Amino acid sequence: MRGRYFRTIYEIARKDLIVETRSKQTINAAFVFAFLIIVVFSFVFGERVEDRDILARGALWLAVVFGGAVGLSHAVALEGQNEAIEGLLLAPVDRSAIYLGKVISAAILIGFISLLSLFFVGIFLGYAFEADSLLLLALVVPLVAIGFSAVGVLLSMLMLHSPLQESLLPVLLIPLVIPVILSGTALTQVDIATANAFEWLQILLVYDLLVLIVGWMTFEYVVEE
Amino acid sequence: MSLLTVSAVTKQFGPHVGVSSVSFELDAGDSAVIVGANGAGKTTLIRMLASLSRPTEGDILLDGEPVIGNADARSRIGVVGHDTMLYDELTARENLKLHARLHGVPESRGEQLLQTVGLATRGSDRVDGFSHGMQKRVSLARALLHDPDLLLFDEPYSGLDQASLQRITEVLATLEDKTVIATTHDLERGYHLADYVLFLYRGQLVEQAETTEFDDVTELIERYDKHCRLGDGQTTPGVSPTGTTPTTVDGGGE
Repeated sequence: MRGRYFRTIYEIARKDLIVETRSKQTINAAFVFAFLIIVVFSFVFGERVEDRDILARGALWLAVVFGGAVGLSHAVALEGQNEAIEGLLLAPVDRSAIYLGKVISAAILIGFISLLSLFFVGIFLGYAFEADSLLLLALVVPLVAIGFSAVGVLLSMLMLHSPLQESLLPVLLIPLVIPVILSGTALTQVDIATANAFEWLQILLVYDLLVLIVGWMTFEYVVEE
Repeated sequence: MSLLTVSAVTKQFGPHVGVSSVSFELDAGDSAVIVGANGAGKTTLIRMLASLSRPTEGDILLDGEPVIGNADARSRIGVVGHDTMLYDELTARENLKLHARLHGVPESRGEQLLQTVGLATRGSDRVDGFSHGMQKRVSLARALLHDPDLLLFDEPYSGLDQASLQRITEVLATLEDKTVIATTHDLERGYHLADYVLFLYRGQLVEQAETTEFDDVTELIERYDKHCRLGDGQTTPGVSPTGTTPTTVDGGGE
């Protein structure tokens, strides 16, 4: 039984990633958004802001947040084509497994958007993250991506058939993921004290756990008419 | 005990009543068509039977077990809806494999069904390159993957080319041991497909009749006009299910 549950999670995540690699809708939308944000940052603040750490991290997180929101909206919109989501809902599987599968695939896509943003920051802001900063990012970005996706998948499913989905999702999503954004930015500050970092990490972990549990428990009702 | 028991099922969307206190029973192997004007509640009823929509009131039982929120019941239901429920970016074979895995049936079943619906040679093509009729055939294969006891079709004949229409009619004819419920505006095909006809009017089941009660399809059309069209008392011309121009119109828009 448990094996079937995990297999469903795997099948959904795998399917989402295959569909994305072929449609490239999410990545293309997020790519353009992340690119524009960092290029604009580079033009507006490039020569004026002396603290390159703040500039690079600010640009990085803005690109991740807005690129992620746009990407998520495209990723879930694919389920609305031909009402493909209903095919999944008709399967004799625990519907929470469908939710978790979609959270995993969305988190992987947001992780990829973060990598792209990191690359753009390096190119357009001429900023190179130090090795220990990169290590910290390797820990923080997956946690941020999970929290972001856990809320985002639930919200975008709620708005799947709304004509305003694309414009409404970022408006509703971003206030709800403020703990994730704050933790992410705080944890990637250069001079953060270990004790502080531990507190922010705890906040991020608890938030992730909380939204995952809420999504896991409510997904069945969210997708049902 | 009946295979499917629908008891006083009501669905409300805010103040609007989509389906109102509908009750009927079907035994294993029975087939029924649900007929009614646009907006009569046919799709809403099918969606509740498929567990895609939760009734506001009433119960839907499959062999005595509730259908809503019950994964075991879902494993016994196959649905072909208005939409194909397929992923455009996947091939026909990949779509069927995905659903085979989710239903826990061998992937070879998908190959067998591609053959049945006449698409064995197109299995490796993405479904966004298919005509609507071909997509509907893949959708039919998807619905049959797990050999369900109850098959639900929402307008199975709408928008199909001749080849797909013929193939789907042939496949439906082989499902005699299954309990089949279909909504349709095509009364002629419905008459030949089903044992029972359920007449829906403005969300209410106004009559459940056996098709043997009608000597021919004309009698069925007359009964349809009596229940589903003339009851409105409207006089604006519309298109009848048989293609003739009647003197009254269907209810609303679904």
